[in-house]
Amino acid sequence: MPNNKKRPARPAAASGRRPTNKSSARRRPAPTAAPATGLARLNHEHPMLVRLVPVALVVVIIVVMIVIKTSGSPKGGGSGGGSGSSALPAGVLSAATSVSPATLASVGVPKGINPPSAVKGTPALLKASDGKPEVLYIGAEYCPFCAAERWAMVVALSRFGTFSGLTATHSGTLDVFPGTQTFSFYKSTYSSPYLHFTPVEVKTNEVVGGAYTNLESLTAAQSALQGKYDVAPYTTQPGSIPFMDIGNRYLINGASYTPQVLQGLSMQAIAADLNKPSTQVALGVDGTANMLTASFCTITGNRPASVCGSPTIAAVAKSLPK
Amino acid sequence: MAVPRWVTVSTLALSVVAFGISAYLTYAHYADPTSLACPDTGTINCTKVTTSSYAVIFGIPVAVFGLAWAAAVTAINVPWAWRSAPRWVHPLRLALVAGGAGMVLYLVYVELFRIGAICLWCTGVHVTAVALFTVVLLSRPSEAE
Repeated sequence: MPNNKKRPARPAAASGRRPTNKSSARRRPAPTAAPATGLARLNHEHPMLVRLVPVALVVVIIVVMIVIKTSGSPKGGGSGGGSGSSALPAGVLSAATSVSPATLASVGVPKGINPPSAVKGTPALLKASDGKPEVLYIGAEYCPFCAAERWAMVVALSRFGTFSGLTATHSGTLDVFPGTQTFSFYKSTYSSPYLHFTPVEVKTNEVVGGAYTNLESLTAAQSALQGKYDVAPYTTQPGSIPFMDIGNRYLINGASYTPQVLQGLSMQAIAADLNKPSTQVALGVDGTANMLTASFCTITGNRPASVCGSPTIAAVAKSLPK
Repeated sequence: MAVPRWVTVSTLALSVVAFGISAYLTYAHYADPTSLACPDTGTINCTKVTTSSYAVIFGIPVAVFGLAWAAAVTAINVPWAWRSAPRWVHPLRLALVAGGAGMVLYLVYVELFRIGAICLWCTGVHVTAVALFTVVLLSRPSEAE
């Protein structure tokens, strides 16, 4: 501690140090220059308080971030936008987008995978504005069946093109198969020379006022497609999700496999099982992916040949409903 | 320089705690990130944080950065370092803890808004970093000789 008996080498004011005791501070002559500013005065009278300003700033910033997060203002932040999504765990994307053809061939389409429905009649091929055949997906982040279907969609669509901006999310924690870990298509992009993928996540997995908050809206054309094809005879539950219109050729109304196989598994655990043909995860996800891949091949003119021409996909394509 | 005993004791204790937690996080990162003793309540999920793409910066795990930082502050907060004469020691100490506090702000932002989960062990390091920042600010050389 300071030695008050010693005369300081420099006056406290000149050294920038606080006075060694209050009495000496009081005895200090009035400044000859301009009067002390408020901050200087505060620093002089309450030096400890001033020193804690940086700490207070840090604490205030943290508290503000917590308040913003818990109040749900800009939910999800950057990558997730207004959704209940977050960054993908390391390694998950690469595992899901590069399941080996050997694994997919080994899995095939096992029992328990619901096939898509063939669209009745011969409507025009659904095409996007870029002229490519279109795959429309309508789902929601809270929906556990969508959660399961997304894994297979990512595996299958990655054989035709490339995703970017995929994030992690989970199904609603108050729904059946609570907290099923999955991808969110919200704000993601997909590019492919063969098809156009249009995902719409209509709700988040966050409940406000007793209901899941809205995320994305359907266009009139998308609503019309859902109104036309997400009803009987294709489903007993009109408007059910996930709903997929695969080029007006095939429809997915509900999950193709049970989300039960993903229950309690982290995204890393699910991703790790994708390349293990004997696991329940691989049977459900990869099996559905094979079926989706075969469906996609029907609207891409069986391109690319490296995918659509494989014996497994060709065999699955033959088994699709007519 | 002379400082109150509580300053040397508390900064060393906080530094050692930060070092210990950082060492555990680093070990878990390389051994098995899912092995962290941490509840998973959705919001609190250590694995989700420590295995996210944000857990590595420039190819180096954030846990390793934390361990290096904790080692540095532990070294500079030993009593001998507090007593040392060189004038650069205290500014360096201040820079280290200020940098630590700044990193805490970034990591809390990432946890809340990018990953959507909080890691309790990481929070332990964050709390000790802010506490160190507080104590070091309160112990500037004005209390010395």
